[in-house]
Amino acid sequence: MKARPVLYTLGAFLFILGLTMLVPLACSLYYGETDVWSFVLSIGITSGTGGVLSFGCKPGEKKIVLSHREGFLIVSAGWILAAFFGGLPYMIHGALPALTDAYFETMSGFTTTGATVINKIEALPHGILLWRSMTQWLGGMGIIILSIAILPFLGVGGRQLFKAEVPGPVKEKLVPRMAETARSLWIVYVIITIAGFILLLFGGMSAFDAINHIFCAMATGGFSTKDSSVAWFNSAYIDGVLVAFMIIAGMNFTLHYKLLMGDFRTFYKDSEARFFLGTILVATLLITLDLRLNVLADIGKAFRYAVFQVSSIITTTGFVTDNFSKWPAFSQIILLLLMFIGGSAGSTGGAIKCVRILLVLKQGYRELYRLVHPHAVTQVKLGHETVPQDVMKSVLGFFVLYLCIAILATIAMSALGLDMITSFAAVATTLGNVGPGLGLYHPATTFSEAPTIGKWILSFCMLVGRLEIYTVLVLLIPEFWKK
Amino acid sequence: MKVIIIGAGEVGYHIADSLSREGIDTVVIDRDEERLHEISEILDVQTILGSGSSPEVLKRAGMAKAEMVIAVTDSDETNMIACLLASTQCRIPIRIARIRNVELNGDCSLFGTDRLNIDLCINPEQEAVSNVMNLLEFPGAAEVFSFADGRIRLLGFQIDPGAAVIGKKLTALRAMEPGFKVLITAIVRGEKLIVPSGGSVIENGDYLFAVTDATHVRELLRFFGKNTEPPRRIIIIGGGNTGMMLALAIEKRNISVKLIEKKHGRCELLASRLEKTVVLHGDGTSQELLREENIEETDFFIAVTNDEEANILGALLAKQLGARKVISLINRIDYIPLVSRVGIDGVINPRHAAISRILHYIRKGKVISATPLRDEKAEVFEFIALETSEITNRPFKDIHFPSGTIVGAICRGEEIIIPDGGSVIQPGDHVVIFTPRSAIGELEKLLTVKLEYFG
Repeated sequence: MKARPVLYTLGAFLFILGLTMLVPLACSLYYGETDVWSFVLSIGITSGTGGVLSFGCKPGEKKIVLSHREGFLIVSAGWILAAFFGGLPYMIHGALPALTDAYFETMSGFTTTGATVINKIEALPHGILLWRSMTQWLGGMGIIILSIAILPFLGVGGRQLFKAEVPGPVKEKLVPRMAETARSLWIVYVIITIAGFILLLFGGMSAFDAINHIFCAMATGGFSTKDSSVAWFNSAYIDGVLVAFMIIAGMNFTLHYKLLMGDFRTFYKDSEARFFLGTILVATLLITLDLRLNVLADIGKAFRYAVFQVSSIITTTGFVTDNFSKWPAFSQIILLLLMFIGGSAGSTGGAIKCVRILLVLKQGYRELYRLVHPHAVTQVKLGHETVPQDVMKSVLGFFVLYLCIAILATIAMSALGLDMITSFAAVATTLGNVGPGLGLYHPATTFSEAPTIGKWILSFCMLVGRLEIYTVLVLLIPEFWKK
Repeated sequence: MKVIIIGAGEVGYHIADSLSREGIDTVVIDRDEERLHEISEILDVQTILGSGSSPEVLKRAGMAKAEMVIAVTDSDETNMIACLLASTQCRIPIRIARIRNVELNGDCSLFGTDRLNIDLCINPEQEAVSNVMNLLEFPGAAEVFSFADGRIRLLGFQIDPGAAVIGKKLTALRAMEPGFKVLITAIVRGEKLIVPSGGSVIENGDYLFAVTDATHVRELLRFFGKNTEPPRRIIIIGGGNTGMMLALAIEKRNISVKLIEKKHGRCELLASRLEKTVVLHGDGTSQELLREENIEETDFFIAVTNDEEANILGALLAKQLGARKVISLINRIDYIPLVSRVGIDGVINPRHAAISRILHYIRKGKVISATPLRDEKAEVFEFIALETSEITNRPFKDIHFPSGTIVGAICRGEEIIIPDGGSVIQPGDHVVIFTPRSAIGELEKLLTVKLEYFG
């Protein structure tokens, strides 16, 4: 492990992070509100620290070569630092004076979770609100990937960072060059975001609300500028547009890239996309029926709430149009389950991811099949491609670790005095980067009342969930630090 | 007429055999000295030691004067290069290559005149597979050949003990089922090929060749007491190229298929290539494994391992355990008379299939198709009747056919005619004619179509 390239990269990364705060700064200047100075200061601190760090640790060679260990360290440390520096505006402005709250809020932003500790969102100035949504939008495609796209010195080293940050069991490059791949992904991301922004404007949203909501929908984040989230708009059109864009964001961006390049076949044939859309369909139908039979008389409304909530939860966005903690238990259980399934690999969604669920199910079927044909040799296939054994093992390992962390964190939360539903849902929702929980922290409330230690545990869950466990946990084993 | 054959493997050897016997100058090139020595002992051909993809070796083989090059080494790449050299350096008019890679086979543009310039690509395994698929379609038959774009079929099948037709004369059969478009072209009894006449009697254990139009195949087989139920469960042993292609073709038809292979690594490859096939790791001749996989409920057992003795024994074992039909892959002609006697229902012979395809291609003139049958004792031709030919515009009873030669079917536009003594061939008809090898020369004169090879 070489310290200089790591610190140098982290410094460069913080420098860029500071620069991104120019956008909310411009916004608060435009509105002439009280948060101007908090951004000026934050930019100074963040970019200053970054500048000093990278200048002080400038390595001799031009291109930095990173080992995969350094890749893991940079990505994990980068995210931990980002959540701290990104929280500066909240603390300086006074929206969230306590470090714990600011850290929780920013981590929730960057990891696209959408769980919040702010009780009166509408009272905040525009700049802060925009920064809050921007953390999600940046974190959605990946702040590190953004750096890879921009930083020229990360030649081959970018590969290690890419692997550590992009979700999903198999990471493929779209184009031969790493930086070009990162750039392509970001371009696709920006194009779809702009399309969504325009569509939301047609729905009668103000430009400010539209940009905030499309940022959070594309990142599958779930922050809103309203206390009652998307329910505030009470518009079927807006619900529809957001559902569409949440689903798009919950699918593999490689597919979107290929679609934009005119490759319809891959899109149509992709078994993960089919599984993802199929799950949405089935869950929506079940919840619609449940709501129609037990809560609402109007089936149209039942469908609208169901499809919105299902899309919002499975893509791990976390927007709400109705307080689902008041829904029948059947619907709640389905939503809780969806929190674990999550979006597709290579999407901005979180949780276990459809492809892993699909592979685990296939592996299960394979074991049953082998009982019938003891001599059979079978391969787990995705579409027509065989999934290599080591990928399969890593998927199973991920699945087990994910559940282990969920269980351990739930136990820890209940030790802090929270009830079972609250603890479990809080962990599921943060680990899966969803947002709203059940029990005490249901969609109509926030996490502001959670115990301080609980907030740190949940922040950790968000980080682990976003970086797909391995990247963070690998830092915790002693083997990692041995020379 | 001179032909260069590159590669003295099984296919190369037998093509050389066929060609040299027809009086064509044949040169065989191979890198294995011993093998060449062996060949020059048995066949009347010239042998040259060296690589087929070397211009120098080809020059020594007299490429400048050759009219055809047939590249059938084990390596697709060598075959392609040899053909490329043949076309660019000496302009040999006909280039035939064995291309085993299925992916390459599909891509015709690669072999076009402005590219590699190969006239015919043959894939023995694929030919064999398509033969098996024909058999699966008509499970009662042991051989099925198609003519006139598949509208006319020639079937070979064995008469089972207890069939209703045993002991009956052919005239009596015709009376039983008048208007039935079928013609028995030959009866094989033991080793002998019998030319049937109206008075011939069908005996138990006879092997019949019959021509019919494609729509009547099932009726024909049912008439001779054969099973015509399409198969539902198939077990293949041997996961080589043939086995894999076979499994692919079968699973596409939604028939349940199990494939048994010995090598575990190969099993994994098979499992990843095949979609619905159950890939089993184990010995295909193990009773325990076969029982475990329900051999007694299996309609077809197909043995296509590399070891032909194992194929024969495996097939016999499967039959013993209750498989309805068993087929083995056998390359050695020597074994073929044996198999039907011991109870194997069908033979896959990739080499035979490849030779048939090559003969089909290189027969000259108006001959469209030629298929060697039954240890190459007989051949079936499909040709287009000429105005000038002696057999055109005259009733059959006035034509003096060579002994054993039988016109099996006539295809006139949309119509399929199974001829009798009064039939007349008109110019432009597609005619399917069955002839013993000994009569080919005589037949040639009669047809005024040269049945010789290109040249």
